[in-house]
Amino acid sequence: MTDQVLAVEHHHDEVGTRLGFWLFLYTELFLFAAFFLVYAVYRSSHLEDFKLAAENLNTTIGAVNTVILLTSSLTMVLSLDALKKGSVKLAKILLLATVTLGVTFLIIKGFEWGAKFDHHIFLQTAKGIAAGQGSPLLTPGEEMLPVGQVLFFGLYFVMTGTHALHIIIGATWMLIVYFWISKGSINPENHGVLERCGLYWHLVDVIWIFLFPLYYLVA
Amino acid sequence: MNTHEQTQSPRLPIIVFAALILLTISTVLLSGLDVGNTTSLLIAMAVASMKAGLVLYFFMHLNHEPLIFKLFLGVAFFTLLAIFVLTFSDYSFRVLA
Repeated sequence: MTDQVLAVEHHHDEVGTRLGFWLFLYTELFLFAAFFLVYAVYRSSHLEDFKLAAENLNTTIGAVNTVILLTSSLTMVLSLDALKKGSVKLAKILLLATVTLGVTFLIIKGFEWGAKFDHHIFLQTAKGIAAGQGSPLLTPGEEMLPVGQVLFFGLYFVMTGTHALHIIIGATWMLIVYFWISKGSINPENHGVLERCGLYWHLVDVIWIFLFPLYYLVA
Repeated sequence: MNTHEQTQSPRLPIIVFAALILLTISTVLLSGLDVGNTTSLLIAMAVASMKAGLVLYFFMHLNHEPLIFKLFLGVAFFTLLAIFVLTFSDYSFRVLA
């Protein structure tokens, strides 16, 4: 017994890593669930205002962005498939396509936010209001919109903003993975990181799937 | 050793994608129906849940994962359900001053 040498094997549990990553994804889901809960409560108490405010959002833009994100999810799936099959070059092209679609989503969202800013609807801070930079539409006064609409736009900016932040994180992560694939540290035999990056991206897509009807279709 | 490693033809993801696009078009068209607030919200959420299910099951490969992954999803789903039901069972019966 004593002269037996213990072979220390470097053990990597891919399934366990993935399960752990799914747990992290559920924490992300619950972050958004809290927002959805607040939305649900305020919508139920300010139904008419929510519908009126939602009319200011452009359904076509929302639908186009939905299609863009769904397409990016497809290119992500195909990128992982390509890498698993050994087509490294194709995997890289599809990954870049996914990043491009994500950035396109952000640019469209940026224009949409810009249009709201032009109509004096934006997220304001107590500090900004004190400095006279608040919007008359959103601060108590003669011109203020009904409270329900102010709540709707506040939730709109916070929820789509948090979602956009996740798009930025996902796209950045993809660019890092792209670099690692180029270097060869992520390859057909070792593709776990691309797989988890894809899971993250799909979750961001799932969240948008619920944001879209709640903001663009309830008018 | 790892059943997850099998690669698949790109046909399945493309079919799933087509279904997702069709569901997106239907939810936009259905939102134009004049069926009342609650019904239209329920329809929109039902279509969104179908879309989310497709993404989770096929794109996130839950179809190839061991049972424990699906159990995790079930626990997360029922926790969410409990939070929403409990919140509304409180909120709906409040007498607001």
